[in-house]
Amino acid sequence: MLQPRLLTPLRALGGATARSNNFINRLIPQQSQAQSLLSRTTSALRLAQSSSILSNPLLSFSQVRHASHSAQGAANKHSRDPAGKRLGAKRTGGEYVVPGCIIFRQRGTKWFPGENCAMGRDHTIYAAEAGYVRYYLDPARHRDRKYIGIVFEKDGKLPTPQNAPTRRKLNRIAVPRLPENVEQGQSDLTVVVSEETGSMVGSVTAVDAQDGKQLRPGYMWREANWSIGRAAEKAGITAAPYDRNDRWLAWRKRQAKAQRAIQMKSLKNKKKASKKAKR
Amino acid sequence: MAHCERASRPLIQCLQKSSMRGISGLQLQSTRAFQSTTILRDEVQTEAKPQAFYKAPDPALVSSPRLERRLMRQGILPVGSRRRRAALQNSDNLPFEQLPYQCFQAARKVLLADREEKLKEITATSEKIARIQALPKEELSRNANASRLKALELHLETLQVHADINDPLVKKKFEDGQGDMSKPIYRYLADQQWREYRRKILVQRITQMNVIPDVLPHCDPVLDTKLYFGRKPVPPGEFVNAGVSSTPPKLNIQMFEGGEKLVTIAVVDSDVPNVETDSFDYRMHYLAVNIPISAINTKVDLNQLSADSQVVMPWLPPVAQKGSPYHRLSVFILEQKDSKPLDFAAIKAHETDRDNTLLRTLQARYHLKAIGAHLFRSIWDETTFDVMKQIGFPEADMELRRKRVEPLPYKRRNPSTFR
Repeated sequence: MLQPRLLTPLRALGGATARSNNFINRLIPQQSQAQSLLSRTTSALRLAQSSSILSNPLLSFSQVRHASHSAQGAANKHSRDPAGKRLGAKRTGGEYVVPGCIIFRQRGTKWFPGENCAMGRDHTIYAAEAGYVRYYLDPARHRDRKYIGIVFEKDGKLPTPQNAPTRRKLNRIAVPRLPENVEQGQSDLTVVVSEETGSMVGSVTAVDAQDGKQLRPGYMWREANWSIGRAAEKAGITAAPYDRNDRWLAWRKRQAKAQRAIQMKSLKNKKKASKKAKR
Repeated sequence: MAHCERASRPLIQCLQKSSMRGISGLQLQSTRAFQSTTILRDEVQTEAKPQAFYKAPDPALVSSPRLERRLMRQGILPVGSRRRRAALQNSDNLPFEQLPYQCFQAARKVLLADREEKLKEITATSEKIARIQALPKEELSRNANASRLKALELHLETLQVHADINDPLVKKKFEDGQGDMSKPIYRYLADQQWREYRRKILVQRITQMNVIPDVLPHCDPVLDTKLYFGRKPVPPGEFVNAGVSSTPPKLNIQMFEGGEKLVTIAVVDSDVPNVETDSFDYRMHYLAVNIPISAINTKVDLNQLSADSQVVMPWLPPVAQKGSPYHRLSVFILEQKDSKPLDFAAIKAHETDRDNTLLRTLQARYHLKAIGAHLFRSIWDETTFDVMKQIGFPEADMELRRKRVEPLPYKRRNPSTFR
């Protein structure tokens, strides 16, 4: 198995021996006859016996490890007893839960979300309504899935009959409707200067922030940041809505962009050129 | 042009020139304006001065989008695909039956023989039916005879379908939308096409959105129902603006069986919020009875039905309060028992309350059976408030907010159970 791989370095060695016969003769004077033989035949065995000092580093250089020999050093690499992940039921059947309450933690779907329940990103079952937990089977829905559901009454039953209307809760209250689009002021930072304390940065309430310029951090008399951001809106400047089909505008924009790119490139080149000239 | 067409073209032209000249006065249609064959060009020239194509585009031949659009604006739909129309523009006007392919002609013979067989069976079956119908009244009403008559009629219908199902011209006509719905074969093809995709979508929407257990316990749609607000079709389950749905919709109800049926149409909102009981109520937005439909009489405009013989509850524009979950407005088409008319005056007197009329109750009370369904949804939008003011909605200035659920009290774990 080793022979074909050995041949190449040996051939190189043969060439080397032919060229520097003197050197090798000095190293191993007893075997000089064998060396001359080697240069003719390039026999591997002969070499291994004859010039052990020379051939050993070369051999180790070309060694191969195959996959059939197992790698060492995996004795304690994979922990055989990892920490528990605290999976399992967090709420038993019949227990009261509120929306968002975690009922079951699991890997994969050992249980499925039934009535008024939902499943999280890691298959955790949690409550979507306030009520009482039920663990049940529903053969009409699926042959062998186990479900977790919520019922609203303490003695409610699941699964519900197949063609009965679903039971839901509104969970909402009626309040007077607020008019839409009422702009609400926001608070912003101001500077308060007084004799005793020096200058202090404080925040004003939303109501005060609306009326005009005030002393802001950096000793500037200016409006609040949010009202500066609304300047265009106040001035009545509106951007035309983007029209996908307006290819003429798109072409002009693209052209302008290309022009600008060319311009910037030329500027860059000029800068470089001037730098070179300086040098 | 496909490669095969390119290869066969010279052959066809050659055959035409040699064989068709001999049989002059052929039954070739001369309706088309563009012809490449010499015979027909002569014919056209002798007939009249040819009119420019773009002035009066032929819906079977038009291929440029501009002319297509013009036709469509006139209300004429172009026939078939644009590719086919373009190919027809400079094709030879060869009748389908005379296509010069040996294998094709051999296959046609087989199909024609099969059709002959089916026609014989049809005559035999109709004779049997006539014999049973000629029986005296008391014998005809016997159970065995009645069921036999029904079975024979069903068999006749399937035979009629089977007789024509292999006819390529029937298929072409159907695909061009020129099928005659009074014939069983076109009804059958239309039914197959509907079940392929549109019915699946409808059934999925009404089951996934829980219309089926919420409004009615069961529904197996056998009618293709399309819903239009104005001229815009609404796919099942789409959200419709309150402003748009303030006028009653139009329905296109396609039946796939022969005969005429009397149906009841009901539009139900199954998500009316009820803050007092913390649950949802139903509201009947429209109810009309005794509406005749058939395979060819498909259009039903809910606005045009007669108020003194059909409409029990006129259209109430659906509105959804701000903050309420979306409202499912399901349209149900219910078959009346034995297609007999219901007593309109009695129903009108009895069913007056929109809020307390459940469709389940109506179904049981008047022996109705749901055969078609449709669904659209409505939610608060910018036009809703105007519609609310129009119809005098009582809680127009109220909105619904999520109720805060009290969190569970923090339960302190007993430390002694922990290590």
